[in-house]
Formats: sequence, C-alpha cells, structure tokens
Amino acid sequence: MDYGLTDEQQQIRDEIRRFAENEVAPVASEYDRAEKYPHDVMDEAAKMGLLGANIPVEYGGAGYSTLETALITEELFAVDPGIGLCITSAAFGAEALIGFGTEEQKEEYLEPVARGDAIMGTAISEPDVGSDVSSVATRAEKDGDEWVINGSKMWITNGSVGDYFVVLVQTDPEAAGRYNGFSQIIVEADRDGFTAEKITGKMGIRASDTAELLFDDVRVPEENLVGNRGGGFLQLMQFFDETRTAVAAQGVGIAKGATERALEYAQEREQFGQSISEFQAIQHKLADMHTRTEAARQLTYKSAWSVDEAEDQLTMLASMAKEFASRVAVDVADEAVQIHGGAGFVDDFDVERFYRDAKITQIYEGTTEVQKNIIGRELLGKGTFS
Amino acid sequence: MKILVTVSESVDVDDDFEVSEMAIDERYLTYDLNEWDDYAIEEAVQIGEEIDDVEVVTVTIGPERTEEVIRQALAKGADRAVRVWDDALEEASVLDPATKARLVAAVAREEEPDLVLTGVQSGDYSFGATGVALAAEMDYEWAAVVNNLDLDAEAGVASVHRELEGGVEELSDVELPAVLTIQTGINDPRYASLRGIRQAQSKPLDVKTLGDVGVDADDLRLSLSLSSLYEPETEGEATLLEGGPDETAGELAELLRERGVDA
Ligand SMILES: Cc1cc2nc3c(=O)[nH]c(=O)nc-3n(C[C@H](O)[C@H](O)[C@H](O)COP(=O)(O)OP(=O)(O)OC[C@H]3O[C@@H](n4cnc5c(N)ncnc54)[C@H](O)[C@@H]3O)c2cc1C
Repeated sequence: MDYGLTDEQQQIRDEIRRFAENEVAPVASEYDRAEKYPHDVMDEAAKMGLLGANIPVEYGGAGYSTLETALITEELFAVDPGIGLCITSAAFGAEALIGFGTEEQKEEYLEPVARGDAIMGTAISEPDVGSDVSSVATRAEKDGDEWVINGSKMWITNGSVGDYFVVLVQTDPEAAGRYNGFSQIIVEADRDGFTAEKITGKMGIRASDTAELLFDDVRVPEENLVGNRGGGFLQLMQFFDETRTAVAAQGVGIAKGATERALEYAQEREQFGQSISEFQAIQHKLADMHTRTEAARQLTYKSAWSVDEAEDQLTMLASMAKEFASRVAVDVADEAVQIHGGAGFVDDFDVERFYRDAKITQIYEGTTEVQKNIIGRELLGKGTFS
Repeated sequence: MKILVTVSESVDVDDDFEVSEMAIDERYLTYDLNEWDDYAIEEAVQIGEEIDDVEVVTVTIGPERTEEVIRQALAKGADRAVRVWDDALEEASVLDPATKARLVAAVAREEEPDLVLTGVQSGDYSFGATGVALAAEMDYEWAAVVNNLDLDAEAGVASVHRELEGGVEELSDVELPAVLTIQTGINDPRYASLRGIRQAQSKPLDVKTLGDVGVDADDLRLSLSLSSLYEPETEGEATLLEGGPDETAGELAELLRERGVDA
C-alpha cells in the first residue's frame, strides 16, 4: 500500500495551484456575478495544456490518468468551482471518443480541444429525462448517408459556447431491451437546425455555461456516429465511473477551499477580546471539516486509482466517492459560512460563492439518491444500472 | 549554442514565525523557485524556441530538496540539469556568493556554454553577487540587471538593456561568451505545461559532488557564517490608508496633523 503522491503528481498539484491563485482567484467573483464564460482564463489554461489533461499524448493532450485529472480538478475547485468547471469540462465527452471513436474522429475532435481551439460537451439530459437516462427521446433517423436529428437536450454544460457535442440519441426505438437502441452521435454547433439557448439564473457555478440544445432536422454525416449503433447506453455507462470520480474530486476541492478560507478567517476575526479560533466550538467545526474533507479525498483517490488498477471494485467506489464527497462539500461550505458569520453572507468573501457552488455536485452526474441506489444494488449483487 | 541557467530555491518565511537557536523553524518556511531565476529560465527557453540547436542546461548548488525547483525548470523547457551538493556544503550555515560562483564556474568549465543567465539575486539572501562573481571567475563578459535581451547568435553578441537606479536604462552590446543577470519583468514566465511536467520526469538530472566538479572540499574557503539570528523588536506601527487619493489625502493630512506635523 502506498499513500503518497509521486513527485510528478505533487508537481502537477503545485503548478495548478499557482495557476489558479494567479489567473483564476482574482477574477472569480467578477465572472460569478456577471454569469459570464471566462474566455480569457480559458486562453491561459490552454497555453498550459490544461484543457487536454486526459487526452492522449498522440492527440495533443497530456495523457494523464483519472488520478492526475482528479488532482487537477481538486486544486482548481479549491480556488473557484465555476471557472474550475469551465476548464475541466472543455473536454466533456472526450472519453467517449477516446474509448470508442475512430482514428479520424480522434484527430478531428480531440486535437482542437487539447490545443484550446474548441470546446466540447456531452448531451444526455432532456426536459423530461434526468435520472432515468434510458428514457432519452431525442431521435436520430438514418436518411441515406446522414443522420437526421430531432429533439432537445436540457442543462448541457458548455451548451452555448461549445463547438461540438456527443449527443445520446435514440436510433433504434424498436430494439428489444430497455438499454438498447441508443447511440452516441457527434453534432457540431454550426449545423443547420441546431440552436443553443443559454440558461441563466443559476444558483452556483455561474461562470460555467449551461444551455438547452434544440435539434430541428439537424443533419450530420453517418461518420459522426461514435462506436456502435445501438450501443450508446452501454458506452455511456462505461464512463460514468470516471466522470463520477471527477465530480467527487470537485467536491473534495470545494471542501478544501472552504476549509482553508474558514481556517484563515477564524484566526483573523476577534470577538470577546480573542481570536474566534480560540473558541472550542470553532475549533471543533474546523476539525470536523478538515477530517471529513480528508475522508472524502481518500475515497476519491481510491476510486480514481481503481479506474486503472482495480475495475472490479470501481462502480461502487465511484458512487460512494461521488455521494460522500458532494455531501461533504455542501456541509463544509455551510460551516465555512457559519464561521464567517455575517461576513460569509455577502459575496465579498469566497465562502458565499462556495456555499452556492457546492450544491450542484449532489445533482449532476447522477443525484445523491441515484448514487445510493447504485451502492445498494451493488451491495445486494443486483447489477449496475439505476 | 548552449545556455547555462543558474536555478535556485528561495525561502519564504510566514508572517508569524519563531526563531529557535540559529534557524527559523521549518514549519514557517516555504521553498519555491527563486523568482528571478524563473525569468532567466523563460529567457533561455524563448531563445531556444526562436533559434535552432539551443541546449538549455540548468545548474543548481543545493541539497536534494532543490530537485523540486529543478524539475520546475525542466518542465518549463530546460533540457537537462546539473545539481552540485556535498556533505561539506551541508555544514555551511550560509553559502557566500564567491563560493557559489566558484562551484557554478566548475560546472561551466565542463559545459562551456555560450551564454550564462542568472537571476539578479535570490529572493531570500538578496546578495545579488553570484552572477557577476561567476563572470569574474570565468573571465567572461558580463552585464547585470538585464531587462531586455536581443541576441544575435551568429555574430555572438547580446544587445541588452540594463536597468539602473532612477529609471535610467543603459544599452550595451556584450560579446559572448557572457554572463547576464536577469531582472524580473524581462518577460512573462510561463507555467509549466502538463505535457512539460510529464516530460520533465525523464529529463537528465545529474547530481555531482565537489570531487566530481574538481573542487577540493578542504579548500572551500567559506567566507561567511551565521553568528546570530533574532527577530527585531517592533518599534512602531504602520497605518495603512486604503482607497483612492481623493479619500486618503484628507485622512493622511489629518493623521500628520495629529502627530504634530504642521505645515
Ligand atoms: C448546472 C448543470 C449542469 C449540467 N450539465 C449536464 C451536461 O453537461 N450534460 C447532461 O446530459 N446533463 C447535465 N445536467 C443534468 C443533470 O445531470 C441532471 O439534472 C441530473 O441527472 C438530475 O436529473 P433531473 O434534473 O431531471 O432530476 P430528476 O431525475 O427529475 O430528479 C428529481 C429528484 O428525484 C430523485 N429521483 C429520481 N429518480 C429516483 C430514483 N430512482 N430513486 C430515488 N430518487 C430518485 C432525484 O434524486 C431528485 O432528487 C446538468 C445539470 C445542471 C443543473
């Protein structure tokens, strides 16, 4: 058993932290308030090669594994979850192409993302389809050598800034079995009939772009199919373990950032003639926050490690890490605001933003309830699908 | 062409710290790449990106811990690194610039660089002398506090701007081989890219003892030693006025009047 990070992993963590402190922290509030996508920060991140962290080296990325990607996510989210998500989501959907894409698709779609010239996304959810992914209704029909797509996708990260999306569609509704008949198809944002409507008024991660995508007879060439026709659901499921581990890392980062700020504030703020950090009640809060963050981190790292090293235990671990770390993020951000008192209730202090940002980690990539369903099913030996 | 860049770590002390005996407790210290060296590395790497066949070699006099900042330099684009350390150096409380220059020179004699870039100073000790001492040791041309560098590799001439006191800039041409001490602001140092970090792990980092570079440990002639270390008493308090001049000018006048300064 080895509990330490390698020199390389520490170097990644330190450099990301430097980047986040210098490039992200000073502008985090501004983008949050304006609900604006941080194109300037993205350019800086691209220069550092941050946007293709998990894209293989031969397609211009750094080829890092789930564990290194989790470290990157944690550090970025510890400084600002909104911009952190913009950076770590620029390659959303890339894992499907890495796993199932053709050589041509990888070159065409992965390289621009790694260079910072394109942003991508994954479109699964629909207005009537959330936790029950198997009810996806967006339809793709074959017409000659093209796919014709109709329907809409809801809550899509990078929806109005993205250049292309891996879209889960129904291609064979008559297929037998609940999980068959779906396919993943790449849709470029400049296709006729494609529109994206930005969703505003989000509670948190406001720098991150979220949109509804509308497909009105959108035609794409048949080569845009990713992997197997009819195998889309299974392809998607393969990567849920990785993407859930990534959200767990987001939660760890948020908890870490909130704890750091609370610790700093507690030592500065004086009441009753002493630093509030002298009060045992505050010390106990800080101790709890720190302990739970570390517990979430260990679960997350173990899940990330399992992606490459022990796949048989992965599904349950990924759900445990996602569920626990997101809960810790919400609780710790809450306590961080409490330690700040009134100051934590206004946006002069980062903890106000962390408090709002934390909640999403319990919702996307499978809600808390869905994660518990999965853990329960795995425990009872009933198989993976929720 | 070959460029040798000196790379060192610099220690940052927390605002609150404790002195125990002759040292500040490790708990209050953070080690990082010396800020000036960051600019020197960037300058060398940029030269390598502009002209063909440039090898950037870093040299560090420091213990194993400094490999952290050496890997940073490698991740930012240096090709390989040399680190010199020895038990004999471990015992020294402070390494004086002349000794450092002597050791770097020993490496430079082996490497025979066309250009040596050092930081103007290190952020902790701020001697600001290693670079020029190295030039003297090597009998190289030199220019200190360089904030603009235009290299004509073919002609073997570096046209530099030197930042002098009072905002004066001096322009001069320096013939290679030369030592230039690099000032902050000369460029915009990059972050190590993820790919760079990955590649850095397999770049050569040679560790050498004094003997390896031909220096006799008994003949180190260290000229500095630390005799005492203490925290000075706070003698006054600073008042910080925040805001634009329209608000703070009045506050300042008020303060000066209170303290008995009358115009
Ligand atoms: C900011 C943001 C970004 C997003 N980004 C993307 C994206 O990039 N791509 C994408 O495809 N989607 C994205 N989503 C959608 C997200 O994945 C869904 O919101 C999520 O899966 C939940 O679906 P839902 O909102 O329809 O909630 P529902 O599924 O309607 O759930 C409502 C409630 O019912 C509970 N529930 C549902 N089923 C069960 C069950 N079987 N047992 C117990 N409880 C249950 C849920 O846990 C929840 O509490 C994003 C959402 C947001 C808010």
